[in-house]
Amino acid sequence: MQLASQVLDEPKTASDLSFKDYTSNGSRLSWLDNSGLGFSLDYPTISLHAVSRDLNAYPWEHLYVMVNAKFEEDNAKEAPMAEGEEEEEAEDSDDDTEPIAEFRFVPSDKSALEAMFSAMCECQALHPDPEDEDSDNDYEGEEYDVEAHELGQGDIPSFYTYEEGLSHLTAEGQATLERLEGMLAQSVSSQYNMAGVRTEDSIREFEDGMEVDLAPAVAGQFEDAEVDH
Amino acid sequence: MEVSHSVKERTIAENSLVILLQGLCNRVTTVELRDESTASGRVTNVDAFMNVRLAEVTFMDRQGTLCHLDELFVTGRNVRYVHIPDDVDIRATIEQQLQAIHRVRYFGGRDKGRKEFPRTKHR
Repeated sequence: MQLASQVLDEPKTASDLSFKDYTSNGSRLSWLDNSGLGFSLDYPTISLHAVSRDLNAYPWEHLYVMVNAKFEEDNAKEAPMAEGEEEEEAEDSDDDTEPIAEFRFVPSDKSALEAMFSAMCECQALHPDPEDEDSDNDYEGEEYDVEAHELGQGDIPSFYTYEEGLSHLTAEGQATLERLEGMLAQSVSSQYNMAGVRTEDSIREFEDGMEVDLAPAVAGQFEDAEVDH
Repeated sequence: MEVSHSVKERTIAENSLVILLQGLCNRVTTVELRDESTASGRVTNVDAFMNVRLAEVTFMDRQGTLCHLDELFVTGRNVRYVHIPDDVDIRATIEQQLQAIHRVRYFGGRDKGRKEFPRTKHR
């Protein structure tokens, strides 16, 4: 990938940024070259991104990213080779406009553009605006169950937390709970059994007629495993 | 638009007017941004945070320069206005979106399936 600056006629290859070094992780968008130099953008600062294939507007198909921040070449933390078009110089005279910086990323492989675009969309969705003033976004509370209220069952919970729930257990429910807890206890104590695989012991205990291939439940099976549970 | 797979997003949408924007999927319209640039294109997705995805976009930056973009994603924070096409029945669109959410939520019937947001009184 080549980092393109709009000021020049051709993409300026300060160094060779290969596509595989483009990473879109949870918190930042990063471009690194082979030697590890590069720069990154914080997702919350990215206003928008787009795929541009209009060769009349710009001679290469690219990923366009608009960033809501001043971007200086001498960023203390970033490599000096990082460049972007800086419009804030022209905009300084406007009082209310925010600084923006534009980036155009020209991958050597055009077919990568879709994947880059989609990855950025997903990561952006993971960064909702922290300054969103809509206080109603607290959706931890109770949901209004239309049907339940219509049936007059609005106050009957469908789910209980632990203490409250124990007191509501029927005899059958109690038996089921004990059985499930027993299964859990057995699987925890049998450390070397694979989860879910029936051993001879468990088959005897839970006779539901299901036939299962018995895996060797030998404690020494995983002796060479390094993990100590 | 396909209903979001996220319980949280469905609930946010159900309780705000973003649900109207979600009903605009596949419609061509104009989105005005905070910085006064505009993007006109076909809406492909709007999520609960008002992030908008458009296809076949004509983008006009704040200087008035036009350019064409295949796909554009604008963060909700930067959306100022979304134009609603004149022929959109707003009420019907909202009702259709709500029905779509309810179909997902009550899939399998009243007592089957996983309940969203358990109505617990103790936390």
